[in-house]
Amino acid sequence: MAGIIIAQGLIIALFVCLVLALVSKYLTIPAIPFYIIAGVVMGKAGLGIVASDQISSFFSDLGLIFLLFFVGLGLKIDKISENRSAVLTSGIIDLNVNMIIGFVAAYLLGFSLIEALIVAAAFYISSTAMAVTSLIENRKLMMKESETIIWLMVFEDIAMIIMLALLSAGDQNLLFFAAKIVFALGILYLLAHYGKEFLVSILDRDDELPVLFTFVAVLATAGFALSFGVPDTMMVIALGAVFATTDPDAFEQHARPFKDVFIVIFFVFFGITINLTGSVSLYVIAIICILAIVSKLISGVLTGIYLYGSAKSGLEIWANTIGRGEFSIALAALYGSPPVALTIAVMVIVTSLVGSFAAKYSGSLMNGFSGRSRRHHGPPYRPHVPR
Amino acid sequence: MYQDFYLAGSLLGFSGWNQQRVYQKAIYFRIIPLMSPMALRSLNLPGVGTKYEFETDKGDTVAIFFTKTGTIQMYTLQKGCHTPSAAEMTPVEARRLGNILTGAIIEADQESVEIAFSALADLRVTIHTYIVPRIVAGKTIEDLQIRAKTGTTVIAVSRNDKNIINPPPSFVFETGDAVLVIGETDQLKLFEREIMVD
Repeated sequence: MAGIIIAQGLIIALFVCLVLALVSKYLTIPAIPFYIIAGVVMGKAGLGIVASDQISSFFSDLGLIFLLFFVGLGLKIDKISENRSAVLTSGIIDLNVNMIIGFVAAYLLGFSLIEALIVAAAFYISSTAMAVTSLIENRKLMMKESETIIWLMVFEDIAMIIMLALLSAGDQNLLFFAAKIVFALGILYLLAHYGKEFLVSILDRDDELPVLFTFVAVLATAGFALSFGVPDTMMVIALGAVFATTDPDAFEQHARPFKDVFIVIFFVFFGITINLTGSVSLYVIAIICILAIVSKLISGVLTGIYLYGSAKSGLEIWANTIGRGEFSIALAALYGSPPVALTIAVMVIVTSLVGSFAAKYSGSLMNGFSGRSRRHHGPPYRPHVPR
Repeated sequence: MYQDFYLAGSLLGFSGWNQQRVYQKAIYFRIIPLMSPMALRSLNLPGVGTKYEFETDKGDTVAIFFTKTGTIQMYTLQKGCHTPSAAEMTPVEARRLGNILTGAIIEADQESVEIAFSALADLRVTIHTYIVPRIVAGKTIEDLQIRAKTGTTVIAVSRNDKNIINPPPSFVFETGDAVLVIGETDQLKLFEREIMVD
């Protein structure tokens, strides 16, 4: 069992994350900022207890791959085309406002063109997981805005897939690259189309096969993509989207344990590899963080006015979409230079915490907003108490 | 009004994954004619789950969400109000609420469900739970002659959170056992009078 000794750092990191996960669930705050902070404290920038090695980077990759596989599983193309107008209006406002503000700010603050693009992408993409959890936990599903928020997240996911494709193309011959992607997607499509019955028959089994199959399919797709020279991130999303045409719930159930564990390793080791020294000034990071909150306010209020004719609706949309999370970190880990990674890490920590509080107290926030006018409408309702 | 409750109850009744198929089928047959006049919207929300929403005759709105996390959230919005009130339920609680709304009798620890099979010439069976009183404790199903005296059948006994399905005639009751009895409504009344009396 020498492997256990080799992976000691990983085990320590996971144990710390377990404790933090318990704390965050108890406080009903997203856990991602805790994992990243823990990573920073334990890693290069902090105490130096845990360093990343081959084992941890393999597990981190698995975390990212499974996260993207889940994005693919959630993409139900037919559902999206049914709701095209709902997805498009809010999505386009959100994309334009946040990408432009993020890009201009990052560029003016001294990032290079490519760096600014990555900061802007991470700046734009809100965390789907945080938005959905916040809607469910704060009992907001019935609000008319919540549907808009959910479709907004779907739009952002699609936008992210396109960005991943563009970023991973790099300086290759674009035509050749596109041909390769089409070819690889074609193989996936054919496999799912003609293998549908085989897939369903595997998923219906009670033994270890469904889980084993899911795990191997995801890893094999990533491996195949890398050796073939197409971005593995995109292929894994495509695999998820293709599998979603058979039985997405079954695949989600089988892939969830892998995702849940490996994604924690991904976050904590992202924190561990962060370098604090001499990269980017605190002042720059602070401006990005503040803008990240303000620009979602602008896009939220614009969407609220455009769709519902009410800035208050916009505030509700804002409160639930402030938090940046998993996708921003993924972009930083995949394409970010050290200063970009640090900036995005701090932005995720700040926005996810602010977002979680804003979503929790948005009701009272808005009552305070319009409290003065409401006071004239008579005494507040009191339950009847017999004497 | 009754129809509205019925619909909500039927929705919640469907949530049970370990429910017997006949039960679901029975409800299915009964709600079909009720559903058509009402505007029930169902919607699949990606990443969240399924939403069902309908408006009552009086203009109140009820929305039910089956979330991916396995919980069920029910929102009610009174006409003219802006903030809904919400309740989050486990599947078991939702099923319980469904039973109440469909009109099954529920007392503190005794509940009953009547199932109608419209495909079988409106065959109606009732399942009722009872708590075993002291006088019955120590006796077997055979001693009590339950089938002969009342026509009902004990189909399950719950004791200390353990369930015994289809207990044999030699099964000995203990005080506090919860028994599940199946029969027609009249037969169950007889069972209550003859067997469950102190």
